[in-house]
Amino acid sequence: MKLKRLLFILIILSTIFLTGCWSSREINTLAIAVCIGIDKTENGYLVTKQVLNPRAIATKVTAESPVVIYTAEGDDLAEIVRRFTTQSSRIFYNADLRMVVFGEDVAKDGIQNILDYFLRNYEYRTDFYFVIAKNSTANEVLGILTPIESVPGFSMYISLKMSEEKWAAMKSVRIIELVNSIIADGDNPVLTGIEISQDEISPKSTDMLKQSGEYKKLKYTGLGAFNKDKLVGWLDEDESKGYNYITDNVKNTIEHADYDSKVKITYEIINAKSRTKVYFLENKPAIEVKIKTKCNIEIVEGEFDVSAEENKQVLNELLASKVKLLCEKALNKAQKELKTDIFGFGEAIHRKYPKAWEKLKDDWNDKFTDLPVNITVEAETKQLGQITKPLFMKEKE
Amino acid sequence: MSKKVNEAGSVISISRDIEENINRLENDFGHDSDLVVHCFKIKRSKGLICANIYIKSLVDRSTINSLSIELGKLKSECRNEKPGTNIDALMSYFSGLRDAKEGFDFEALYTDLLSGNIVFLIDGCEKYLAVAANSDEGRSIEESSAQTVVRGPKDAFTEKINTNILLIRKRIKSKDLKVEYLSAGSITKTTISLVYIHKIAKDEIVQEIRTRLGKIEIDGILESGYIDELIKDDRYSIFPTFLSSEKPDTVAAALLEGRVAILVDGTPYVLTAPALMIEFLQSSEDYYLHYIVSSVLRFLRVIAFLLTLLVPAIYVAVTTFHHEIIPTPLLVNIAAQREGVPFPALLEALMMEITFELLREAGIRMPRAIGPAISIVGALVLGQAAVEAGIISAAVVIVVSITAISSFAIRNYEMSNAIRLLKFIFLLLAGVLGLYGVLMGLIVLVLHLCKIKSITVPYLTPIAPKIKGGNKDTIFRFPLWKMKYRPVGISGTDAARAGGGNPVNSSQKEKPEFR
Repeated sequence: MKLKRLLFILIILSTIFLTGCWSSREINTLAIAVCIGIDKTENGYLVTKQVLNPRAIATKVTAESPVVIYTAEGDDLAEIVRRFTTQSSRIFYNADLRMVVFGEDVAKDGIQNILDYFLRNYEYRTDFYFVIAKNSTANEVLGILTPIESVPGFSMYISLKMSEEKWAAMKSVRIIELVNSIIADGDNPVLTGIEISQDEISPKSTDMLKQSGEYKKLKYTGLGAFNKDKLVGWLDEDESKGYNYITDNVKNTIEHADYDSKVKITYEIINAKSRTKVYFLENKPAIEVKIKTKCNIEIVEGEFDVSAEENKQVLNELLASKVKLLCEKALNKAQKELKTDIFGFGEAIHRKYPKAWEKLKDDWNDKFTDLPVNITVEAETKQLGQITKPLFMKEKE
Repeated sequence: MSKKVNEAGSVISISRDIEENINRLENDFGHDSDLVVHCFKIKRSKGLICANIYIKSLVDRSTINSLSIELGKLKSECRNEKPGTNIDALMSYFSGLRDAKEGFDFEALYTDLLSGNIVFLIDGCEKYLAVAANSDEGRSIEESSAQTVVRGPKDAFTEKINTNILLIRKRIKSKDLKVEYLSAGSITKTTISLVYIHKIAKDEIVQEIRTRLGKIEIDGILESGYIDELIKDDRYSIFPTFLSSEKPDTVAAALLEGRVAILVDGTPYVLTAPALMIEFLQSSEDYYLHYIVSSVLRFLRVIAFLLTLLVPAIYVAVTTFHHEIIPTPLLVNIAAQREGVPFPALLEALMMEITFELLREAGIRMPRAIGPAISIVGALVLGQAAVEAGIISAAVVIVVSITAISSFAIRNYEMSNAIRLLKFIFLLLAGVLGLYGVLMGLIVLVLHLCKIKSITVPYLTPIAPKIKGGNKDTIFRFPLWKMKYRPVGISGTDAARAGGGNPVNSSQKEKPEFR
C-alpha cells in the first residue's frame, strides 16, 4: 500500500518534471534580432541580421558594440536564417524584429517570395516596418551605428514613425498593409527609402560615435513606388508629400508658399483630411479628391500683414494652391512616368462600383494613366502665432 | 457543563458518608497533591461535618479568605440546625456568592474542582456544593499585536474567556446576545463558548456549529486553531474557513451581521463563522474610514492577493516561454541582467522565494532583539550581494520583494500563509508549462474555492453564487446608509439594519450659511 502511494507520487512528479519545460528558452540564450536586411547576389540572397548585444546596451560604460551584424548567403531565405546558427552561440529570436530593409536590387526584382517567409513563420509578428535601401545595399545600411538611440534598429523604427508624423514625406508600412496592396488589383504599394548620408567616416564602432558629427548617418528620403511587388521608381520629397495628402496620411507638416517675390509664408499643417470620390462620366470612371487642411502660421517673411481681415482669404488660397501643386506633381509622376496606381484609386472604384470594376480591373495600370482626377483643396488658417503682424513691418498711415 | 460519562461507563455518585467521599477524593488525586481538604464541624450541631475542598493553585486567595469569614458567620448562625439538615439551607447562606451550584456525581465534582471552584461536602448529603473562586491571574487587556489599526479601538482579547466575553458584552448591550458554554477535550476540558445574537444569527448555522462542537473527540484543545481544523467543512483545504480575530470590535461587527463567534479559553484568537473568502481581505478599519478610501484600500488588497499568488509565476513563465509579450526594451534589460547568471529562471526564483520564506520564518521565531539583524542580513547580504556576485539577477530580487510586500498587505495571517504556499505551486507550474500551466492552476484554484464551504455557506458568496444586492460589502464598501440589510444566507433575519434617511435635510444643504 505504501509502495503504491510512493509510486503514484513518483509518477506524478515525473510527468511534471521529466516531460516539462518543452519549448522553454531562457532569455540569456537568445540572440534578439532587430533588423533584417535582404540583398541580391549572384547566388541568391545575402541576408544581414542586426542582433542585440544586451550586455553592451544595459551596462552604462562599455567597449562593445550594442549590436552585432551577421551575414549569410544562400538561395533560400529560411535556409540562410538557419545558416546563421553556424556563426552564433545563441538561438536567433525574431519576435522583436523592428525593420526589414530591402536592397534596391531585391525590390526591383520583386519581393513576393520574401514576404511569404515573413508571413508563414510563426515567430515573426506583424508590427515591423519595411523600407528600401536607396542608392546602397541593405547590408551597408545595417552596418551603420547610430548615436543617441544606440540600437540602429530602434533608431530607424522610431525615426520613421516620427518623420511620418511630423514631416509627412514618409510612410510606415507594415506587412499586412504591404501584402494587401500587392494583392489588390486597384492598388500598389509604396515603401519609404532609406539613405546613407555622404559623410566620410563610416561608424562601425562606438568609438567613432564619440565625436559630435561628421560620420555617416541614416536618413529617410521619399517613397519608392511599386508596381505589384516590383519597385519601379522613386518619388521625390514633394511628390511623396503629395502622395500622402491624397491618401489621407498627413498628420502634421510644414509647407511654404510664395505670395510674391518678396513675401514668403510658411504654414504648419495641423490637420489634413482627404476624401476620394468616384464618378462615372460617359461610362468612364473619374476621381475627385477633396482635401481639407487646417494650419497655423509659422513664419512670415517680408511685409505682409497676416492679421488683416482682407488677407485671410489670400492666406488660405495660397496654401490651397501649394498643396494642390504637390498633389498634382505626385499624380503626374505616377500617371505619366511610373504608370502605377499607388493611390488605390482602383480600389475606390472597386468599392463603389464593384460590377463596373470587373471590366476595368484587367490592365488597370494602363487605364490609370489617363484616369481623370480632379483635386480640390480647402485651407483654413487657425492661429497666427504668438505675434500677429511681422515685427519689422512699418505701419501704413 | 456537559456531563461526561467516565471510562467505565458508570457514574459514581456521591455517597451519604462524608468519610467515604473524602477518601475517594484523596485517593484519586494522590496524597501529596495541592488538593486541600478542610473538614470542620458546625458548632453545637452534633456531628454535622462539613468539608471544603479546593485546589490550592487554582483558587483566588482573597476569595478563600472572604469565604472563611462567611463560614465563621455560618458557624454561629447554624447553632440550632439539626444533623442531616438539607443542603438547601446551606445553599441559602451562600446565595450571595458567585456561581454557587450543586452536583451529584464525582465526575462533575472533579470538573468543578479543576475549574477552580471550592467544593463543599456535607455529611449525610448526596450532593455537593460548588462556589466559584478561580483566580484571575493572567494578562490584562492590551493592544493587539497581530492586527494593528490606526483608526479604531486598540483593545484586544486576552487568554481569559471571561474577559473576552466581557469585551463583547460591553459592545453589544442586548439581551439577545446569547453566550453558550460547552467544554471540549477529554483531558483538558477546555471551556468553549458560543456567542451569537438571537434572531439575527441563523438558527441552522448556530445548531450546526453546536452539533459539530459536540462531536469533537480529542484529548485537548489549546487554541482556537484546533477548533478550526477539527470542525471545518473541507478538512483538506488550505484555505481558512473560520475568521480568527484578536479584536473585539471585529467580532462584534461579525455578530451584528449574524455570524457566530467561538471563544476558546486560553487563547486571544476568537473564531467567527461562517467566514467568506472576501472577509479575509477586509479589515475592521475599512468601516471606520471614508467609504471611498476603504473601497480603494480593499481593491488594493485584492490586487495584493493576486500579486502574491502570481508575480513570481508570471515572471518565470514570461521569461522562459513567452518572450514575445515582453516589450523589447524590457526584454533587452532582463536579458542583460541575466547575462552570466548560471541558473534557469525557475531555479533562480525558487531559490529567492525560499530564502525569503526562511527569513520570514526566522524573523518570527527569533527573539525580538535579533529581528533587525535578520532584516539587515536579508536585505543587504542576500539581496545586494547575490546580485553583485552574479548568482541572481536583479529582476528576481524585485519580483520577490513585490511578492513579499503584497503578502504583508493581506491582513489575515492564515490567508496570507495559504497564498504564500500556493505561490510555490504556481511557480512550479509556470516553470514547467508556462502561462498555460499558470492558467490551469488558476482554473483548479477557482474550482476549489467554489467547492469549499464555511459552515454550509459557499466560500465565494456573494460573488459565486451571486446574490443580488449582496455585493455592497465585498471588494467595494458601500456607505453604511446604503448597506441596509445583513448578508443573505448568513443572517437569519431580513430586517433592515440601517435606515436610509439623511439627518441633514435638503434645505440645510442648499443654504450654507453661518449661524
